[in-house]
Amino acid sequence: MDARLRAGSAFLALPSPGRTVARATLRMTGVLVAIFVIFAPLSSLVIWSFTRTWHWPHPFPQAMGFFYWRKVLEGDLFRALQSGLLIAVIVTVLTLLLTVPLAYLLARYPVPFKAAILLVFLLPHAFPQLPVFVNATTLLYRAHLAASLSGVVLIHMVGALVYAVWTMTAVFRSIPESLEEAAWNLGASRLKTFFTVALPLATPGLVASTLLVFLYSFDEFTGTLLVGSPFVLTLPVYMYRTSVGYELQVASIAALLLMLPGIALLVVLERYLKSEYLSMFGRI
Amino acid sequence: MAPQISRRPEARRPGHRPPRAGDPFKRWLSLGAAAPPLAIVVWLFFVPFLSSAHRSFLREGEWTLRNYALVWRLYKIDVLYTLGISLVSLVLVIGIAALLCGYLRLVGHRFVEFLFKIPLFVPFVVVGHGMRVLLAPRGTLNSALAQVGLIDLNDPPSIAFSWLGIVIALVWKNLALAVLLVLGAYRAVDESYLEAARNLGASTFRQIKDVLLPMSAPSLVVASAFMFTSMLASFSIPLMIGGGEPPHMLMVDVYYRINYQDDLGTANALGMVSYLLAMGVAGYYLRTITVKPA
Repeated sequence: MDARLRAGSAFLALPSPGRTVARATLRMTGVLVAIFVIFAPLSSLVIWSFTRTWHWPHPFPQAMGFFYWRKVLEGDLFRALQSGLLIAVIVTVLTLLLTVPLAYLLARYPVPFKAAILLVFLLPHAFPQLPVFVNATTLLYRAHLAASLSGVVLIHMVGALVYAVWTMTAVFRSIPESLEEAAWNLGASRLKTFFTVALPLATPGLVASTLLVFLYSFDEFTGTLLVGSPFVLTLPVYMYRTSVGYELQVASIAALLLMLPGIALLVVLERYLKSEYLSMFGRI
Repeated sequence: MAPQISRRPEARRPGHRPPRAGDPFKRWLSLGAAAPPLAIVVWLFFVPFLSSAHRSFLREGEWTLRNYALVWRLYKIDVLYTLGISLVSLVLVIGIAALLCGYLRLVGHRFVEFLFKIPLFVPFVVVGHGMRVLLAPRGTLNSALAQVGLIDLNDPPSIAFSWLGIVIALVWKNLALAVLLVLGAYRAVDESYLEAARNLGASTFRQIKDVLLPMSAPSLVVASAFMFTSMLASFSIPLMIGGGEPPHMLMVDVYYRINYQDDLGTANALGMVSYLLAMGVAGYYLRTITVKPA
């Protein structure tokens, strides 16, 4: 009986207690490795941001506290944060105004040269940005827009528009057309249909896309470094300069402030961020 | 996955009235909505793109191939270095993601899945700085390892400021995107295939190797193309964590060429090389997404 039971359990591959424990240990180890991999670079930033003095080769900082936090929030870092936020807000509002009508038209109507238009908004994803932005900077210099806030806004708009056109067109396409047809059949005009049917239904997707546009502009580095220098300083460029200059505490605080909106977005909106919005975002 | 260009199927459905755009005047009016965003992208992406091709053949106002000769003489190692780093990072990213996503698909772990979304929201510059602080000779990793007695503090190894530092940073940042794309492809594989494999006694690893991977191969190839071009074109990570001595990655070379030598001709010739490298990959990527129906 006993032997038959054991044979049966082997056949059904029921895990023995020993294997279950081994498996749980393995699983736990895996989770710990994952936590280490993800948090090792991030926690180093946290430690450095609260460090006042840390002389090598001491294992821990000699003095910790809010010293540098107080110091930077009154200085250049705060100004970089302010101008970065201002630029990101302008870029987001402009992108939203320009993209929502276009995305709706592209999703619903036979716009002339539709394939060509979509291709124009796709190609910037396929090519390295930096050499293109180098030449864009000289164009902006000629237009007297380089090293100014409007120049930085414009260079951010390139990436933001490309991203927004694709995601917002996808959002409008995902809304069933029959709902709008019902409104037309009941006599609503096309404009009224857009504002009372399509737009409310698209709002969640548009909000997700808009937040990612904001984040893109807030995090943008390459274009800002080239176009904004030396007068326009945003947080990523400020962080780069301090990090390369070995002001590690200041750079770490800037890095944490840069990460904050993104992580907040991830925690709050994880379920709403569909992979199609994110896959493009991961690259820019 | 990225959005897809495709003909919408409404015209084929019987009894369905496609929305009319009215008279030709209205159709052209809709181009008006497209004009401002198009103008910005054309002005600040397409014109500069063409002008970088133009300028790569110019030196002191004359048409010449000297910029390319200089690229060949000074930067051929850097081109190989860039391709090598991108390839190693890509293989690591795809390998790790293929196994990890297999586990997440078959067994599931919400917390780990959430963890691997975090790098997506950490900007490239922050990754560069974080890895600098972690992996520098006097960084936090060496400091921690020294406590356990694993390394000698008088001669600390430097992972940052080398190719390995760039690879680690690129893998860390791109892993999030890879997990997102690969997990999406794995989730699209029908459960019945996996059940069949399990009934025949396939282990988790065999289910990944023999069912999930082959069935999502097309998506994996697209994801690889996607990430390979972005690694080739990575700028802030190698700028921050790459060494001061050559070889550098291509984008860093372009930046230094402009910033320190003020040499737009050679910088643009380097840029053209990077476009050509990206074009090979992008051509494949564009074809896949334009041909495949939504």
